[in-house]
Amino acid sequence: MALNLLADISPWRPSHSPGLNIRSELFAALIGAILVIPQGITFAYLAGLPPEYGIYTAIFVTLFASLFGTSSMLGGPNTAVAILIGIAVAPFAGRGSPLYIEYVLLLSFMVGLIQLTIWLLRGGRFFMYLSPAAITGITTGVGFILILSSLDGIFGLSSSDTHFFYHKLYFLFDDAENLVNPFSFTVGAITVVAGMIARHYITRYAILIAITVGYLCGLILMSFHSQVEMELELLGHLPINPLPVSHPPMGTDYLITGLAMLPDALIIALIGLAQSMVIVKQLRNDTDQPIQPDKEVFAQGIANLMAPFFSSFAGSGSFNRTQVNQSMHAETPLTGIVSAGIVLVLILLLGPVLTYLPMPAISGTLMLVGIGMIKTDEIKRLFNWRGELAVFTTTLFCIVFLGLQTGLVVALILSVLLFVISASSLELIVEREAVSVKIRVEGHLFYASIDQLSQILKKHRRENVILDLSVVTYLDLSATEAIAKELAKRNNESTFFAVKLSSERLQNQFEARMAGQPVQFIQYNHTY
Amino acid sequence: MIDWLIRLFFDNYPYSLKKLFKLRSWLPLLLLPLSTAGPVQSEQLPIENLLQRSYLDDYYSNVVYGYRIVTETEKYGARYTGNSLRCSNCHLNAGRKEYGLPLNVAGMYPKWRSKNGRRNGIGLRIRECFVYSMNGIMPPEDAPEVMAVAAYISYLSHGETIGEAPAGRGVPTLPDTGYDPNPASGKAIYDQKCAACHGPNGQGIAHMPPLWGMNAYNEGAGMAGVHRAAGFIWANMPLGQERTLSHQQALDVAAYINMQIRPGDPREYKLLKLFETISWFFDR
Ligand code: HEC
Ligand code: HEC
Repeated sequence: MALNLLADISPWRPSHSPGLNIRSELFAALIGAILVIPQGITFAYLAGLPPEYGIYTAIFVTLFASLFGTSSMLGGPNTAVAILIGIAVAPFAGRGSPLYIEYVLLLSFMVGLIQLTIWLLRGGRFFMYLSPAAITGITTGVGFILILSSLDGIFGLSSSDTHFFYHKLYFLFDDAENLVNPFSFTVGAITVVAGMIARHYITRYAILIAITVGYLCGLILMSFHSQVEMELELLGHLPINPLPVSHPPMGTDYLITGLAMLPDALIIALIGLAQSMVIVKQLRNDTDQPIQPDKEVFAQGIANLMAPFFSSFAGSGSFNRTQVNQSMHAETPLTGIVSAGIVLVLILLLGPVLTYLPMPAISGTLMLVGIGMIKTDEIKRLFNWRGELAVFTTTLFCIVFLGLQTGLVVALILSVLLFVISASSLELIVEREAVSVKIRVEGHLFYASIDQLSQILKKHRRENVILDLSVVTYLDLSATEAIAKELAKRNNESTFFAVKLSSERLQNQFEARMAGQPVQFIQYNHTY
Repeated sequence: MIDWLIRLFFDNYPYSLKKLFKLRSWLPLLLLPLSTAGPVQSEQLPIENLLQRSYLDDYYSNVVYGYRIVTETEKYGARYTGNSLRCSNCHLNAGRKEYGLPLNVAGMYPKWRSKNGRRNGIGLRIRECFVYSMNGIMPPEDAPEVMAVAAYISYLSHGETIGEAPAGRGVPTLPDTGYDPNPASGKAIYDQKCAACHGPNGQGIAHMPPLWGMNAYNEGAGMAGVHRAAGFIWANMPLGQERTLSHQQALDVAAYINMQIRPGDPREYKLLKLFETISWFFDR
């Protein structure tokens, strides 16, 4: 155990990844760096922070997550996490103010601590229980939130104080000519349209193309009208510092707020890990990378713990960048490590140009990301499964109407429920044979599922019964006891009761429990 | 103590009772005995005191942020500025000097302006100084920087009468001297009295702000008006020997300064302006 933990802490070395192909790794790193810059800026906006914090997150969280990781998964700023940070800190300070930033750093630190605790408890595997339907529900819900929050920027609304989306939509339609800034709208709409068109041809770079088109559109507008008269919001200078050391605030005053933010930190920690673990699971299935899920949990935790020391906020694994990475045949954490450095170089070069990036173009990319998160084919597939569909719709409904946090908690609970229900339901096949009734059981026989079997056995009390448990691999005490109890009630003189088990071990265990009841065993290796 | 409690609850959670049932509302209560420093009381604390505190509530932390933006604009307001000036180069003593463009003017806003035919809050004035005096880009109205400076301005305006101009607002209006401003004699005065600090070419020297060149305020700035500049110079310059120039001398030197080359008015130059700033940024 202790040895295991120590192994998790060691950073990545090239020797960990045999078959390292430096060239494809470096190229993937470059692409990853280009893609993460707009994401960093937009997600910082979602989290209510100045854009440079998003860039720092793209550098340092990516760096630490890869340095201690085992896979080509790229960490860094993440939509759901960024939205949750915004929701969590908003009650305590004004968006973007120094106090707000301090609270975000504190929150990220707490998230890191919680994730490390989960790592110590080896809790990573529990994220495998999160049902895919719930995940689809969450991504769809987050996509919906993204689209709505992008409206503010695209229409040039200034700090919209409406909480519910129907409110916002109502205001927009009701008072369009006063609220909507035509210049912002032009830039925003062109960005979205460009992205939608680009998506058909080069899906991967759609966002990049969209933001470039939006930028050029802004330049064209600015050559006819001044920024002042258009009131077109621009990104502004990015005061980038290559080593932006900071630290999470300490002291009793912060402790109070910290404790008040604890539930939020917990949710963020869980959702961050959940997303990362889904990616890890996918990578494990699709590639031969030597992935250790527990080490990845540690990597996420340490990355978020270190984030506040480098002016960054919490992040998690990124679906889309990891996918791009995979399509470039990058197979090791080297990509993430190098890409962090490239982001820094790029941003120092691009900084002055980015100053004039119109915010509506950024909002446009937010909308594109949101649209991309609503995957209709995945949702359609769910329609065939009643349970999964229920989980999906409930999660989505809760996120849209009750807020992201509530939705996430509901998704977690529903996933567990779905799991418990599916684990405790038995498949019982009753066949009437010449002299007996054969009851074939599939599933786990334990305290939660035994009742189903007992009912059937009760019904066939007066007949000869062959209980076929040959595919049951799990049989607990209460299940054997329930069967023994049923046996005692049977008329054992005139009928017989035979059991077929899957292994000798189970048979011995079973026999011991039956305490002299007349049971016949059909050999476990016997086939009909 | 009771007062403390009430403040804790109602300052931070004004919305509704519903919040009472939320974890974060009652959790702080458990920690009451742990906390030492209470929230800042309602009487006005000098900014120097605030700066020393390790923890400030949202209002005062914003005031301090605003103060920092005004006094160290190149660091805290960098996102929207385009030259190396600070707000406090013109709003002297961090906006606390009479006739040195003091910032205790919160009570004068919102105000109707013919320029855009609307009532404008203090936010617009702040944003305009970013665009013109700081030769930067216009921040959005809800930018944290704008909010912070607005908070600082309300803090400075404590005790002023609302709707009444505070004593020494802006710069003095110089009486009509009967002569037109004369840039030629202005140059002589500049070389003699100002160049030591502001540099022979107006470019400024270490810790002294530039008066012209691409690093100074642009043609749309309030200081680019000769009469307003003259009032400022007469009342505040040369630093340490204020009001030693005659009215005519102040006018002359103001005319001279404002004849020099400086960034264009962003309303007129548009795209050109943009390249100008980009090249400036690369040069820096
Ligand atoms: C180059 C000098 C200069 C700089 C630098 C400057 N200002 Fe000003 N500011 C002025 C002048 C001149 C006026 C008066 C303009 C007017 O009355 O139209 C003014 C007016 C104002 C006012 C309105 C004051 C009133 O009396 O109503 C505010 C608020 C303000 N500035 C904020 C700022 C802020 C914030 C900054 C820094 C980001 C700044 N200024 C930087 C010159 C400057
Ligand atoms: C002793 C040095 C000194 C001398 C001499 C001096 N100034 Fe200044 N001046 C300053 C400083 C310092 C500031 C900035 C004030 C601050 O930050 O508190 C300033 C600010 C200014 C400003 C507003 C800020 C800007 O850069 O636009 C103007 C205009 C100005 N001075 C004009 C003059 C003129 C005209 C003279 C000559 C009559 C003069 N000064 C002489 C030190 C000086």
